[in-house]
This record gives sequence, C-alpha cells and structure tokens, in this order.
Amino acid sequence: MRRRVLLLVAAAALGAVALTGDRFWLQFLGKAMIGCILAISLDLLVGFTGLVSLAHSAFFGLAAYVLAGLTNGLGLVNPVLTLPISVACAAIAALIIGWLSLRATGVYFIMVTLAFTQMLFYVFNDSPALGGSDGLYVQSRPVEGRAAAYVVIWVALVLVYLLLSRVLRAPYGRVLEGIRGNEQRMRSLGFPTRRYKLVAFVIAGALAGLAGYLDATLYGFVNPAQLGWRQSGLILVTVLLGGRGTLYGPALGALLLAFIEHYGERVTEHWNALVALLVIAVVLFLPRGLAGLVPGASRG
Amino acid sequence: MSLSLFALQVVNGVEYGLLLFLVASGLTLIFGVLGVLNFAHGSFYMLGAYLAWWISQRTGSLLLAILVGVPVMVLVGLVVERLAIARLYTRDHLSQVLLTYGLVLLFNELQRGLFGNEVHGVATPKALAWTMRLGEAQTWPAWRAFTALACICIAAAMRQVVLKTRFGMRVRAGASNAEMVEALGIDVRKLFATLFSAGTALAGLAGMLAAPLTTVYPGMGEGVLILSFVVVVIGGIGSIKGAFVGALLVGLADTFGKVLLPGFASAMVYAVMAAVLLWRPRGLLGPAFEGR
Amino acid sequence: MAEPLLETVGLTRRFGALAAVDGVSLAFQEGRVHAVIGPNGAGKSTFLNLLSGELRATSGQIRFRGEDVTRATPDRLSRIGIGRSYQTANLFPGLSCVDCVWLAAQSRLESSMRFFRPAERYAEVGVRAAHALEASGLTQRHATMAGHLSYGEQRQLEIAMMLATDPSLLLLDEPLAGLGHDEALRVMELLRKIARGRTVVLVEHDMDAVFSVAAAVTVLVDGRVLVTGSPAEIRASAAVREAYLGEEQP
Repeated sequence: MRRRVLLLVAAAALGAVALTGDRFWLQFLGKAMIGCILAISLDLLVGFTGLVSLAHSAFFGLAAYVLAGLTNGLGLVNPVLTLPISVACAAIAALIIGWLSLRATGVYFIMVTLAFTQMLFYVFNDSPALGGSDGLYVQSRPVEGRAAAYVVIWVALVLVYLLLSRVLRAPYGRVLEGIRGNEQRMRSLGFPTRRYKLVAFVIAGALAGLAGYLDATLYGFVNPAQLGWRQSGLILVTVLLGGRGTLYGPALGALLLAFIEHYGERVTEHWNALVALLVIAVVLFLPRGLAGLVPGASRG
Repeated sequence: MSLSLFALQVVNGVEYGLLLFLVASGLTLIFGVLGVLNFAHGSFYMLGAYLAWWISQRTGSLLLAILVGVPVMVLVGLVVERLAIARLYTRDHLSQVLLTYGLVLLFNELQRGLFGNEVHGVATPKALAWTMRLGEAQTWPAWRAFTALACICIAAAMRQVVLKTRFGMRVRAGASNAEMVEALGIDVRKLFATLFSAGTALAGLAGMLAAPLTTVYPGMGEGVLILSFVVVVIGGIGSIKGAFVGALLVGLADTFGKVLLPGFASAMVYAVMAAVLLWRPRGLLGPAFEGR
Repeated sequence: MAEPLLETVGLTRRFGALAAVDGVSLAFQEGRVHAVIGPNGAGKSTFLNLLSGELRATSGQIRFRGEDVTRATPDRLSRIGIGRSYQTANLFPGLSCVDCVWLAAQSRLESSMRFFRPAERYAEVGVRAAHALEASGLTQRHATMAGHLSYGEQRQLEIAMMLATDPSLLLLDEPLAGLGHDEALRVMELLRKIARGRTVVLVEHDMDAVFSVAAAVTVLVDGRVLVTGSPAEIRASAAVREAYLGEEQP
C-alpha cells in the first residue's frame, strides 16, 4: 500500500513539472521518462519472463525512423496516424525477430537478439538514403511545444505502467511468471510456452517503439546510435539497477541513470568508466537492484 | 565477376574467417566450459591490436611485438578471470551480460585514456611486406597469407591439444558436464583460469595479426565480437569444430557480401545465421537437439 | 478386452549405439494401475519420458485413445489428458503451494491469453486448485513457498499439480524415491486414493508399494520387456528374480 502511495506521489510530481515550463527540466525529464518506458517494457521480458533480450533498442530506433520517414517522406504528421503506424512497424519487426530468436533458447537467444539488433543498426547506418551515420531530422513533429510533448510522454508512461501492471495480474501474467520459474514444467502442464514468450516479446517491442516515437517527437532527430547493442545494454543496466521483476524498479533505474549520465558528464570526461564501475558494482554486490533495498519489495 | 576477383574474395574470406576462428574459438570454449557469456572478448582483440602497435612502434618489429604481446595477453586474461569472471560462474545470464558489458565500457575508457582516440597504422614486417599474384589482375598481400597460415597452425595445434592431451580431455569433459568434472576432483579453478587466459590470448593474437590490415582504432573489437557471436550460434556452443566451420562461413559471407551487396554486407551474415537457426536451433554442430 | 487407453508399439529410443528402450510394446488398460519395474538401467525413466513427450522416440508408436501421439509435444500431451509427476522436485521454487497448483489448474482454461481480468477472478481455476490441494493433503500449507516444503510435502505438491490438470492418464515417476518411512506411507496413501478410478503408469523401485496398489506389473530389463503379469505372477517368477539378482529381491 505504501508503495502505491509513493508511486502516485512520484507520478504526480513528474506531471507537475509540466506546469513549471522550465526548459531544461522538461527536456531532461522528458528524456528520462522515455527511458522509463524502455526500462519497464524490457522488465516485462527480463524480469517477468526471464528473457534477456538485446534487441530492445532496435525497436526503439525503428519506430523513430518510421516517424521520420512518414513526416519527411509522406508529409504525414498527425499523431492519430503516425503513432499507430510507427508502433505497428515496431510490433511487426518484433514479431519477426521474436519468432526467429525464440527458436533459440538460453544464451543462444541472447546472442541472436544481439545479432538482429546489429543488423538493423547497419541497415540504418550504412544507407545514405536513410541518413547514414549522421541520422535524420524529423521535419515536423507530431506534437509541437516542449511542454505539450512532455505531457504526452508523461501520459504514455503512466498508461504503459498501468497497462503492464494489469496484464501481469491477469492469467497471461501468471503464465509468464511460471515460464520464468520453470519453463519445462510449464510445458508439461500443458502450456505452449513459446507462444506466450513471443507475445511478451511483441508487447515489449511495441512499447519500445512507442518510446522511440516519443523520443523522435521530443528531439526532432533520429540517428543510428540509438539502435545497437550498446544502447540495449544500457537499458538492461537500468533494469538491473532498479530491480528486475518489479516494474517500478527499472523506472527508478532509468531515472537514476539519466541523472548519472547528465551530471557525470560534468564531472569527468571519462564518466563512462563511472557507469562501468557502477554496473560492475551492482552486479556483484546489489543483484536485486535498488528495489532489493526496500524490505519485502522485490521478488524471489 | 572475373575468376581472379572471385579467387581474391575467396582467399580474403578464408583469411578473415580464420582470424574470426581465433576469436570465436575462445568465446565458444569460455561459454561451453565455463558457462560464461563474455562480451568483453572483443576488448581483448582490441587490446591485442593496441599492444601490437605500441610495442612495434617502440621496437620497430611487429613480430617481436607479437612474441611479447601474447604472454601479456595471457596475464591479462588471468587477472580478469580471477577478479571478475570467476564471480560469474554461478550467476544468471543477465548478470553475466551486464558485468562483461561493464568491462567493455571500462576497457574502452582505459584504451581511450592510455592510447587516445586517433587511428594508428601498424607497419607490416619487412620480410612479409610483399604481395603475390592471384590470376591476372589481382594481388594478395603476403601478410594475409602468413596470418592465414598462422591461424591454420594454431587450429591444428588446438586440435592436438583438445584430442590428445589430458588437459584437452578435461576441456572436453568440462564442455559436456562441468559439475561432473569437479566431482571427479579435477581442479576446476585452474582449468577455468587456464582456459580463459588461453581464449584471451587467442583473441589478442587475432588483433595483433589483424592490426596491419585494419589499422588500430577505438571500438575495433565490436564488429569482431558480434561476428564471433554469430559464429558461435552457427557452430554451436562449446564446439571448436563448429567454430571453425562457422568462422569460415561467416568470413566468406561477409567478404562476398561486401563485394556483391555493398550496402547490405553485414545483412548477409545475419541472413546466414537466421537460416541456420531455422534449420538447426542448436547450431550446425552443437549438441544434437534431443527431445524437444 | 477393451481398447487400451494407452498403448506403445515397438517403442524404441536410442542414444548413439545404446538402445535405452528397445522395441517395447505394452498396453495400459483404462482404470487400472499398471506398474513398470526393473533393475537399475532398465530404461524405466526413459520409457516414461517417451510417454510424456519429453524425449522423442527413435522408432515405434505411442497411441492414446487410438490416436497416434508419437510426435506430440509435452504440452499437447498434457492438454489431451496425460499428466505427469516427477522424481526430483520440478516445482516453481519462488511460488507458494497454492500459486503452483493455480498455474497447473489454469492450464485447463481454454486459453491463458487473457490480459485484462485479474487471474483470481477466474473462479473455476481457484476451485480446481483448492480441490487438488485438498486431495493431496496440502491445504494447511497452501501459503508456504514451494522451496521451503519438506521432501515429502514437495512430492505431495507434485501430485497436486498433476491432479489440478485433471488428467485421465497419470504417469508417476518414482513418487516414493528418497522419502523417509513416514512420508512414504503418507504419499503411498495419497497414491492409493488418487489411483481409484484413474489409469496410472507407475514407475517405482519400492516393491511393497507396487504390489499393494498395482493391478498389472511389467518388468523391464535392458530396455526390453521381460514379462507382464499380475503382481502374484511376477512375485513368483523365477526369471524376474534372476533379473534382479544382486539387486533388491521382489
């Protein structure tokens, strides 16, 4: 109960920032909240289904590029059209990549998602028509104005959190939990587990696409560096940092990482090393993440 | 495509594949026996290349750099294994991915701090700085031939060690059942440490051999790492034979891909991987897919 | 005789050159407990794994209610009514007893691709789970973590999970293995209770248990069927005693 109150307060606080109109905070927290959406959706896979996927950033980037293509190429800007199309593209890509990747299990799965992510990265990075390594500007954004974009992102984050909470309490969520605990037993109990895993992969991919769409809307710019396994790795870091399998933990992790990245840059040129040491420290000494510090909060 | 151009791609592809084999064989053994997914493996390749540049710059000899560099890489492997990797043997995949990912970030910053951001050229040893003719229109650098030969010798040596020595027997046993090996009283810690440093040294050596061809630059380990993963997926975890076949396949696919489809060279390799997965989800030569 | 509920025809499973199960043809009649015994290495576990779909047969056929299910996946077999319990704890260690059984019961929903109603609202699942828990005598321990149960209680949970899937055929893999005397008695009583009116394939080493509950006994040796008969016939058989020579006496 206390947790729910805290979450409500945090959500309200985040929302209230929109009223301040402060340029820096709107941009910074807007970006951070997009990271939260990415982290929460990845937690569905990692924390609740037990699937470590390195493909998350691929769906993020793909949807962003689709938006760029729609506005620049077709002059389509209206979010009522561009949002569903971008997210649908991400979902379809997740369906294809997921179907292929889930033919592998365990580490093979991780490596396959890695390879597909890189494939998409190279497609965007090496094609001059798609902007090459420089990326593309989004000529007109679906949502104009920093405050408006912020509110849209905030609403999206809240909805994503509520949606996933709901899904995880439903029979489908129980199945995911069972798969994470003992997939072989789930199969012998009559569940065609691959199907359920694929659905989780597609949901997560679609939500990553949503985050990508919002990111392109916020910044007006898409580039290949947003795809690739390094980015996926960072999202995984936020999940571990915050505490996998909790939904709210990874969101926390994303916020924390955003702060570290921002202020770390000010402190030292080699702030990447700071992040590296933090990651290593968390893996070795705090495997349950921040949520693990809260008594009774994290899962077994 | 003319015959000599085709021949050039074939030898280039094979040579690249052989280099990849050095890197991937370490990766597949480290995963098969130690059970650790090591993302930092590409960093060892990079480290080897930088070592080669740094030492050859000061001594004027790349071959000397290799002679000195390989033992250094062994040492690096030992240190990394004891300090970081050993803690991962009982941990889950996410922990392994993230810890080694952290190591990659760390190594990158280390490299940047120690050696800077510039690209460095490495001179081919004079003795091997010539080229040989391939058909009428093409030539092939002797250094590439040397590299290919060196890799073949190492592969043959590996085969001997794995099949004919007691150490190799333990490696094979460990690849199929690490717990059992421990139960048999074999010092698993020593086995793992040796194996990991061997893998590190192989990756480093590959970097040293590649340095004159690719130049030495930040992030050079990344592409090789990803391709090595593709090789392991294709060849099957823990299988050296699989890594060999997979590496040649990937080397050829990548080389031909760059020539035939310049925009989508990389895509060709991943297409091969996808095809393999559809046909044999456990890799071409990985453990046979028993049961379901 | 009526058509057997489950039947194997020349069922064979090879591992390289070794035939762990070699041309086994057996018929399991409905409503009976049919035990499969044999010395160590006889292929009993392999046989059970073939029946539950976890191993694929090298050759031969498995028929369930007349239908060829040789190539069926474990989840398909479960859905058509074949339930299985495991010798070593094969539970969900992070879940409580009731949650473990819940999952098993939920498998009988037409589909678990349900995303919006909370799982608890599916009353029929809860009812089935509660019944299974009660039948296995675990109602008192429903809130305990599966990982914290005693060995015998874990067996009870195994059986509860199997029961919650409402199977018409039960595959029991050495349910008494490793249990202390009291726990074994309790599980034995449970087995007697659930075997009533159900078809059971029981793989066991404990001979007292086998002879007290089985209507038919098959002896496997080196992957092949030595003999099938009533418990009395098997007990009296010289060939069986010889097969067990050096092992425990039947």
